[in-house]
Amino acid sequence: MFSLYKKELQSYFYSAFAYIICALFLLAFSLEFANGISNIVTPKYTFSFSNIFYNNFFYFIFLIPVLTMRSFAEERKSGTETLLLSSPISIPKIVFGKFLAIATVFLLMITLSFVYPLITALLGQVYLSSLICSYIGFVSIGLLCISIGMLMSSLTDNPIIAAVTGEGAMIVLLFLDRFSQSDMIQSIPLLKSVFSIFSTQTRFNMFSIGIIRLNDLVFFFTSIAVVLAWVVIVNARRRWNRG
Amino acid sequence: MVEIKNLTKRFGTITAVNDLSFTVSDNEILGFLGPNGAGKTTTMNMITGCLPPTSGTIIVNGFDISNNPMEAKKSIGYLPEIPPLYTDMKVYEYLKFVAGIKAVPRSKRNEQIKLVMDRLKINDVSKRIIKNLSKGYKQRVGFAQALIGDPKILILDEPTVGLDPNQILEVRKLIKDLKKDHAIILCSHILQEISAVCDKALIIAKGELKALDTLKNLSDRVSSNIALTITIDGDKVKIIDIFNNTKSILDYTEITSDKPNAYAFKLELANDDARKQTIAKLISEDCSILEVQTDQANLEQVFVKLTKQPSKKRTIYDVFDDIEKNIDSDENKEA
Repeated sequence: MFSLYKKELQSYFYSAFAYIICALFLLAFSLEFANGISNIVTPKYTFSFSNIFYNNFFYFIFLIPVLTMRSFAEERKSGTETLLLSSPISIPKIVFGKFLAIATVFLLMITLSFVYPLITALLGQVYLSSLICSYIGFVSIGLLCISIGMLMSSLTDNPIIAAVTGEGAMIVLLFLDRFSQSDMIQSIPLLKSVFSIFSTQTRFNMFSIGIIRLNDLVFFFTSIAVVLAWVVIVNARRRWNRG
Repeated sequence: MVEIKNLTKRFGTITAVNDLSFTVSDNEILGFLGPNGAGKTTTMNMITGCLPPTSGTIIVNGFDISNNPMEAKKSIGYLPEIPPLYTDMKVYEYLKFVAGIKAVPRSKRNEQIKLVMDRLKINDVSKRIIKNLSKGYKQRVGFAQALIGDPKILILDEPTVGLDPNQILEVRKLIKDLKKDHAIILCSHILQEISAVCDKALIIAKGELKALDTLKNLSDRVSSNIALTITIDGDKVKIIDIFNNTKSILDYTEITSDKPNAYAFKLELANDDARKQTIAKLISEDCSILEVQTDQANLEQVFVKLTKQPSKKRTIYDVFDDIEKNIDSDENKEA
C-alpha cells in the first residue's frame, strides 16, 4: 500500500497539478485575509481567523473535486486499472492508499496557510485555542469532501465528469445546510433533527468558536469511513458490471 | 500451471466466454488465437483476476483465483493489450512501484528491476519519462512490468505490437527463453508469431473452444491431401485434358499466373505418388513445367476453417427455425 501511496503523491507533484491547487487555495485565502484586514476600520467588524476560515470554506470546497477527479477515473481511462486489479493488493488497500495520498496533498495545502496566523502573530495577537479548533474543523470537512470526490471519481472513467459531478456533490453539501435552516424544515421537528445531522457548516461553526464536540468528530470520522466503504463497494461492483 | 474448468462469462444477455476448459503446464507456451471479439481479452482478464467469472474455476499455481486471489495473483505476470503505464513517471520509478505493489521484498527490488531491464534492453531509457518514449519502448516497459516479481505464469496479450522487426525477433527469443521456468499464455492474432513461438495453440471463436492441440496436429487436421501449385507452359486444353484423365488428381483450379504464356493451377492430390505421376505425365506430353510448389496446410488455414464453423451451442432462434421447418413439412404432407 505504501508503494501506491508514494506513486500517487509522485503523480501529484511531478505534474503542476498539486502546485496549482495549492496556489489557488492560497490565492483565495490571501484575498479573504486582505479583505479581513481592510475591514478592521469598521467598528462592527471583528477580525478573526474563524471568519476567514468560514468564508474560505466556500472557495476551497470547490477545489477538492479537482484534486480527487483523477483518482479512479484516470486509471480506467489509461488502462492502468488492470495493473492494480491483477496485482496482489486488495481494493480496500487501493482506496485507502489513494485517500491517504490526496489527504497528504490537502494537508500540505492547509499547512501553507499557517503563514497568515504567523504574520498576524508577529504584528498582533492570535487566539491559539480558536485557531487550532478552526483548523481541526477545516481538516475534518476537507477529508469528508475528499472521500466524496473519490466516490464521484470511482463512478466514471472520465476525469472531467468526475470533477463536474464532484462539484455537484459539493453544492448539495452546501445546500443541505441552507435547507435545514429553512422555515419549512425548522417547523417540522423530525425533519429538523434529521437535516441538522448532515449540516456540516453548523458543525464547523462549533469548531470555529473553539468548541470541540465529540459528536462532531464522530460524525466526520464515521461519514468519511462510510463514504470510503462506498468507494470500495463501487469499485468491487464495477468489476461485475464491466463489459 | 494454470487450470481452467468450464469457464463462462456473461455480460447481461451476451455470452462472452462459453464453457471454456484448458490447462497450461509449466515450461509450455500456449498460443491463444481467435478473431476479434472472440473473448480472448475477457478470458485473460478472468485468469488475472481483473474480472470475476460468471461460473467455472480458474486455478493458478495451485490457488483458486476466486477464493485465494492474493496468492494466485502473486504468481501471475500480466501484459494487457494496452500496457498499463503511468506515463508521467520515469521508467525506473515505475518499475519500482510495480515491484512494491507486487509485494517483492524491499531488499530484492533493485536487483530484480536491474535484471528485468537487462532482459528487455531498456537500461538506456531507465531515467526517462515514460510519456516521451516511443511505442516500442513503451511496449517493452510494459513487458518488463509483467516480469517483475518473478511470476511463475506469464500472460501476454500481443507482446510484439509496435515493435520493429529486429525487436520482434528479440522479444520472441526472450519469450522462448522464459519458457524454461514459466508457463506462458501468448495471445496474438499474428499467426506467424504463434507458429514461431508456441508449442500448443488454442483457437476460440464466439467464446467457444474450437481447437486445442499441438501446432502440427492442427495443421494435419485441416487436410491430409497434398496441395500443389504448378505453373506450366503449354497448350491449355491439353493440360486440362491431362488433369481430367489423371485419377489421383482430386481437384484443380486455375489461378492467375504472373508469367507470360504460362498457366498456373492449384492441384489437390490424393497422395505422394500422385505428384510424381502428374509431373511425369505432363513432361511426357511436352509441357514445360516452370514452377512447382507444395503448399502445406498452415495455421492460417486452420484458423480460417475453425473460426468460421457454426456454433455448437443452439440458440433459441435455432429452435424456432426447427419448429418452423417441422410445421412446413407437416403442412406439405397434409397437402
